[in-house]
Amino acid sequence: MLSVRELKVAVEGKEILKGLDLEVLPGELHAVMGPNGSGKSTLAHVLAGRDGYEVTSGGVFYQGEDLLPLEPEERAHKGLFLAFQYPVELPGVNNTYFLKAAINAGRVARGEPELDAVAFMKLVREKAKLVQLDETLLKRPVNAGFSGGEKKRNEILQMALLEPRLAILDETDSGLDIDALRVVADGVNALRGPDRAMIVVTHYQRLLEYIEPDYVHVLAGGRIVRSGDKSLALELERKGYGWVLEEEAA
Amino acid sequence: MNTVGEPLDRFRELARNPAAPPTGIHWLDQRRDEAAARLDRLSWPSRKDEGWRYTSLEPLRDPQFAPAAQPLSALLPEDIESLLLANGRVPDLVFANGRFAPALSNPRALPDGVWMGSLARALREKPEALKDHLARAGDPVDSLFAALNTALIEDGAALLVAEGTVIEAPIEVLYLSLEVEQPVIAQPRNLIVLQAGAQATLIERYASFGPSLYFNNLVTEVVLGQGAVLVHERLQEESRNAFHLAGLSARLDAHSRYHCVTAALGSAWSRTSLQLRFAGEGAESRLDGLYFAGDGKLVDHHLDVEHAVPGCSSEETFRGILDGRGVAVFDGRVLVAQDAQQTSAHLHNANLMLSRNAEVDTKPQLEIYADDVQCSHGTTVGQLEPEAMFYLRSRGISEPEARKMLCVGFAQEILERFSHAPLRERAERIIRQRLSRPSG
Ligand SMILES: Nc1ncnc2c1ncn2[C@@H]1O[C@H](COP(=O)(O)OP(=O)(O)OP(=O)(O)O)[C@@H](O)[C@H]1O
Ligand SMILES: [Mg+2]
Repeated sequence: MLSVRELKVAVEGKEILKGLDLEVLPGELHAVMGPNGSGKSTLAHVLAGRDGYEVTSGGVFYQGEDLLPLEPEERAHKGLFLAFQYPVELPGVNNTYFLKAAINAGRVARGEPELDAVAFMKLVREKAKLVQLDETLLKRPVNAGFSGGEKKRNEILQMALLEPRLAILDETDSGLDIDALRVVADGVNALRGPDRAMIVVTHYQRLLEYIEPDYVHVLAGGRIVRSGDKSLALELERKGYGWVLEEEAA
Repeated sequence: MNTVGEPLDRFRELARNPAAPPTGIHWLDQRRDEAAARLDRLSWPSRKDEGWRYTSLEPLRDPQFAPAAQPLSALLPEDIESLLLANGRVPDLVFANGRFAPALSNPRALPDGVWMGSLARALREKPEALKDHLARAGDPVDSLFAALNTALIEDGAALLVAEGTVIEAPIEVLYLSLEVEQPVIAQPRNLIVLQAGAQATLIERYASFGPSLYFNNLVTEVVLGQGAVLVHERLQEESRNAFHLAGLSARLDAHSRYHCVTAALGSAWSRTSLQLRFAGEGAESRLDGLYFAGDGKLVDHHLDVEHAVPGCSSEETFRGILDGRGVAVFDGRVLVAQDAQQTSAHLHNANLMLSRNAEVDTKPQLEIYADDVQCSHGTTVGQLEPEAMFYLRSRGISEPEARKMLCVGFAQEILERFSHAPLRERAERIIRQRLSRPSG
């Protein structure tokens, strides 16, 4: 599904990712943990195609295809989705209009007919219920004035609507109350399947109690320095990152 | 050869055009003659004139605008179908090249106490009702072009609403302009008078078909009696070659309310001058403006708001989108006189630049001579946010569509002030169309 090979990425001349390897197979859920500033969001942004990152070496293959030359919208059409750590506010852009444009852009790209207004509203209501997003938020501008938790629910709503093959969740659990955390976990679990995969960036082991990762990775200093199963997350929670970094250095 | 004087000489000749004979109404002929005399005295504005510093009149020099010939009687109702709002309603009054076109109009039934029709007919039927208002104080705005308009007052829209009369449904006026054999100058003169306590909503649209070249030089006078309420919504969607010069002056008596939403989305060269005078205490006005300056186009707005009496409030919010080598000028002046205590005035202009080659000259000014006031002004010039573009594109939305969504989002603050939904939808659609055009 996704194969990141010795990826080196610089931002404004500063190297952030320093030879990162990551292999994700269909059906898998990978958790990525790591200290602040270690490059987790950088990885997520590079995968989604954001400008301003210079890939200095290495490569990324997605479903057998070189991902890096693709525009962000092409990646989305091919089933890649990023739930933003900081969802962007779009004043004046109606949320429902935005969701419909997003869904239909993907459908058109895949040669499917656009959803009409009625079919779309039915779908969006159903999914909004699933993520327990207050329907009034559908009528407001995208994320504008949403609370932190509402923004994250709106990300999960988009994920539920777009049904990506590879979803990358960048700290979607940060700043959420227990109920909202359940919603995120339910959203993730509802989407899991043998031909989909997920990369979940998180600082907290709590989310992992609900979503059972197949692998847990520690990203530090721009590289994956340790990988393990979910017990690694528990260990990190107990001991912090210090010991991993020390062992890595040794 | 005095090349600078050339276009002015042509306008002076127009003002003495034998095709526009005296009206026979003494006071009006006098006012027209005075305006023609003013035109003789005035000189062609140059960049040294404060009001024209950033707005070049050069493009107006070459075209030889002829006065519109007789009514465009060849136009049929089906010809203007593409110009109707989405509700399909035929406007109450349609003007073609500045003259009333009854065959294209569909005036709705109005309550007693309302007189609506062409100014030409009003001048025939009830000139006395116009005398106190029409061109009473000389030329309201942009004196040279307003003088030209006044010198040739003939037709336009007239809406006279008697004391206490409330018109529920919006009245719609369409000004259609067309080049016929040669470029024409149309000069609608509109008069809106709401007596004390009267209420109305007026929708005005300026439109054309095809790439017609013409000059629409219009003047609208608005007079609001005590406690009157006028909602005035305007959409300028002139042809891409057109010149559009609109002078609008409003006089607000005590406790009246004036809400004007105006969108300048078309034409090659346009200037809208809004002049507001508070004549009685406790009046309120809100001017909301939206403009789009596409590649090679110029859009100019001049506001002149004068708080002469205490306790009035005004709010002016203008937003513009500039693309390609588009040029926008915003000159907003709000004056709060010494006696105008307890004034509230807020003036704001925001610009979204889609291109490095676009240019905006914005000058919001507050002149305050009173001490007990609440006033603010501000201006912003920005670009599309890269994070916002990336967010939309990461959801599969193409770059051009993402750009449109963000531009319409930027315009939304003004668009949503349109109370008439079909008008708001049309304005939004036009912005999307303008953004679809390739530009440099
Ligand atoms: N545009 C930029 N300009 C300069 N430095 C940048 C830029 N973007 C990211 N960085 C730097 O890259 C490093 C990695 O940032 P990144 O956001 O990927 O960290 P992270 O692992 O997601 O951290 P957190 O856990 O706090 O979200 C940081 O030191 C950050 O300051
Ligand atoms: Mg991060």
